[in-house]
Amino acid sequence: MIGKPSVEAEIPFGVRLGAVLAFVVMLLPVVIVVLAGLNAGEYLTFPPQGLSLRWVIGFLSSQSLRTSYLLSLSIAFVVMLLSTSLGTMAALFLTRVAFPGRSLMRAYFLAPLMLPGLVLGLALYIFYIVTNVGLARTLQGMVIGHVLVTVPYVIGTVSAALYNFDVSLEDAARSLGAGPVRAFRAITLPSISPGIMAGSIFAFIVSFGQFDISLFLSTPNITPLPIALYNSLRYRFEPTAAAAGVFAIVLVVLSMLLTNRIANFARFSGIKFS
Amino acid sequence: MAVAFNRLWFLVLPAFAIFLFFFVIPVLALLAIAFNPAKSGVVLFQPTLTLANFARWFSTSLYYNAAITSITVAVVVVVVTLILAYPLAYLVAKTTNPARTSLYMILILVAMQLDLVIRMYGLMVLLGDNGLINASLLQAHLIGQPLPLMYNGFGTVVGLVQLSLPFMVLSLIGIIRVIDPVFEEAARSLGGSRWATFWNVTVPLSMPGVLAGSLVVFALAISSYVVPALMGGWRVIVMPINIYQQISEQGNWQFGATIAVILFAMSLSAVYVYHRWTEKRIGGLL
Amino acid sequence: MERDEQRNSIKRVSRRHALRTVGAAAVGLAAAAALATSAAASPLQATPEQHPATQDVHWDGQVFDASGAVLNLGDWPGFWHDMQDLNLINQFQKDFNCTVQYDSSWPWFPKFAASGPQNPPLDVTNWNMPELFKTARTGDYFVPLDELKANVSNSADLWPFAFQNGYGITYLFSVLGYAYRTDLVDPPPTKFADFWDDRFKGKRATYITSNTIQMNFFMVASKVFGSNEMDMDAGFDAMQRAMPMKISDFTGNMQTLLERGEAVLGLQEDGEPFAQIDKGIPLGWMYWTERQPILDQTKTVSRWSQPLQKKLAYALIQRSTDPAYQEANGAQLYERPTNRKARIADNLANKGVVNTADAANQLWIPPLDWYLDNEQAISERVDRIFGA
Repeated sequence: MIGKPSVEAEIPFGVRLGAVLAFVVMLLPVVIVVLAGLNAGEYLTFPPQGLSLRWVIGFLSSQSLRTSYLLSLSIAFVVMLLSTSLGTMAALFLTRVAFPGRSLMRAYFLAPLMLPGLVLGLALYIFYIVTNVGLARTLQGMVIGHVLVTVPYVIGTVSAALYNFDVSLEDAARSLGAGPVRAFRAITLPSISPGIMAGSIFAFIVSFGQFDISLFLSTPNITPLPIALYNSLRYRFEPTAAAAGVFAIVLVVLSMLLTNRIANFARFSGIKFS
Repeated sequence: MAVAFNRLWFLVLPAFAIFLFFFVIPVLALLAIAFNPAKSGVVLFQPTLTLANFARWFSTSLYYNAAITSITVAVVVVVVTLILAYPLAYLVAKTTNPARTSLYMILILVAMQLDLVIRMYGLMVLLGDNGLINASLLQAHLIGQPLPLMYNGFGTVVGLVQLSLPFMVLSLIGIIRVIDPVFEEAARSLGGSRWATFWNVTVPLSMPGVLAGSLVVFALAISSYVVPALMGGWRVIVMPINIYQQISEQGNWQFGATIAVILFAMSLSAVYVYHRWTEKRIGGLL
Repeated sequence: MERDEQRNSIKRVSRRHALRTVGAAAVGLAAAAALATSAAASPLQATPEQHPATQDVHWDGQVFDASGAVLNLGDWPGFWHDMQDLNLINQFQKDFNCTVQYDSSWPWFPKFAASGPQNPPLDVTNWNMPELFKTARTGDYFVPLDELKANVSNSADLWPFAFQNGYGITYLFSVLGYAYRTDLVDPPPTKFADFWDDRFKGKRATYITSNTIQMNFFMVASKVFGSNEMDMDAGFDAMQRAMPMKISDFTGNMQTLLERGEAVLGLQEDGEPFAQIDKGIPLGWMYWTERQPILDQTKTVSRWSQPLQKKLAYALIQRSTDPAYQEANGAQLYERPTNRKARIADNLANKGVVNTADAANQLWIPPLDWYLDNEQAISERVDRIFGA
């Protein structure tokens, strides 16, 4: 801090205060839920009647919830891979190619976010049943539904990264004899990777927490976690859903501390739709 | 440009085709029944056409008021979320210490890990008539009656803002980070205060992120059912609540589709207007 | 400048033109999509009599080998699911050599409607009456009740109200009434009309209009304050006079409202507060005497299921009406039996629940057909009252 003032020291006080306020709004309910999930008592309450891991253990030892958890995890993973590739490609096209209907096409890719998930889920369910394409109540059918509402996020984040990317760098590589694919992989991909990563995080989180669309598309015998948790809260108010949240939070923190992903956050890219 | 178009069209084709087959066709097929007479238990398009469902919607205050409520709530949520998210995004973007950046990012991601319904329970513990806020204010004799912090529009907005904040923050961080410090330094060296520099240089340069984040939050807010249902105490009747009632409970899918058509048209026009407006305001950036 | 304007106007025209083209394309696509789906959905219409699945199927009551067949069951999720596995399904699968596909993605009505009667998504379905009525009124979905009874021999031991819905067999139920906080309500409520006491203003709670408990509450209020349960105006007036109140979307949410003291008096089915009392939450319970509506668990068999699945379905319902199964569900889920020979589990018996003809005769099944005929009007009006 001595000598040249760092960028951090330049942050106005009002902005710092606002940031603290935002953290409070974002995290206070989370703290309450975590404490409720660590409740030692018989039912969901706050303040907790003593702390224990009984509900977290209960969540982990329930066969049906474990299956639901793994199902949602695998779906989110597949959706993340699909949406990230589809969205990145579409974003490349939308930022690189100017054509008359470009803003319409951007709206086209944003549209699934504007409809309540219940409507989209029901529409897909009826479509699968009526066309008899073998997607009704299958995992593939549900994955397609999730892809529709996650691709927009990827397009948004990758567009933002491309917006900041200097195309002349790629042209330079091309002029030095690199083929288009090689130039893309060597020059463009590394510099838009933060955008791609941000998009895949959105895709994963939106799919993992998806309730409305899954409601009509879920398969018999296994229920995705958000539906299992919602139903457990609708019928019995046990700390299970809170305990599931505790587990998810621990998992996120651990996985981020263990992998080197954090370093990449320094270059995290935002979202851009236009 | 035509050459480039021909060369690169394959990039957009897979996503375009998936959206066409699994979004446009199924959704249009479902929404088309809005033009059929209401009949319980019928989900498929019938040849008989009518505008009766639309007439009913436009003549029933319960339904057209919901449209006003939906738009108002979504706009308020976008504005409040933006005001709250911007300073946080700025702080994270300008933090150079990697450990601290990681801590901030972990906290933001942690906020996205909780199931929606249990999150609303957390908010009820805070904002309820017997919630922590009211209980402490009553204890301190600052108020005589519990403040109405939930079961109304305020609670709904708080719930939606809590849900939307991480999305907005993550949309802004990247944009703010890549603003060339040269601009800010120049403003400072010309004698601008830190605040003036923030307001006159940083904020305008980050408008693309503001626009994108606002669209995401608008979409989240206008299509939400759970938050208004649990935080609004049934006093905040928004269009998704109407749709949910018609589709999931009453089985009047024609009328449910009608409300969905109107909501969809409204959302898309709102986005269009927003685009046009921002284009005019900050056209040079887009 | 002029040039610019000109260019702008061209741009505007072309934009309008583009919008019009897109609009026309969208309408065309919608029409095509709609026609394609409706065409695909009108296959050969066979009558039940011609369809192989609806030929006479009789189950003789004996365990048989289904050689790995799959039975599609629609039933509630979560803890309920775990208990059904434990009390019913695991043993059933072993005995009959079949697989029960447990589908808990409620609601069922849209699923039946999307598939049509001849292609049922579920073979056996567990319902609460309002949704069952809605589904059954729109198509020939279920095996007629007489045929169902003839194939389920336990029917002879069930109380008559178990068949009063007219479509399926009610095998478990709970009774509706008021739950209240014993530490925050003094004196406790003693009659239906106490809900409207001034002391509960803002601290009483009911449900959204689509909830079964709210439907029953509305009809009982119409009866108590008006001429009969169909006296809508008395019902609306009662809802109006109860405002302000808390509106819950589901029973789990009501439990939370009561536990947190956000509401001190709320509508419930007795199983929920009984379970909460046993967990140590200070709750009391009051039955309505004017009418005793129930929250039913009713199972139906799909008429167009295949013969083998139908036999399995009958067998599953036979076991769901078995006294031992019903007692086990009482102990774990606080549900009451409909079989007159079933014993009441201790956790219910110690709260005064009995299984007698007198008790069964007091139960009331509301005029749901009337309610559903008027549902849109009632919901719109009550929603407006709640939202004011």
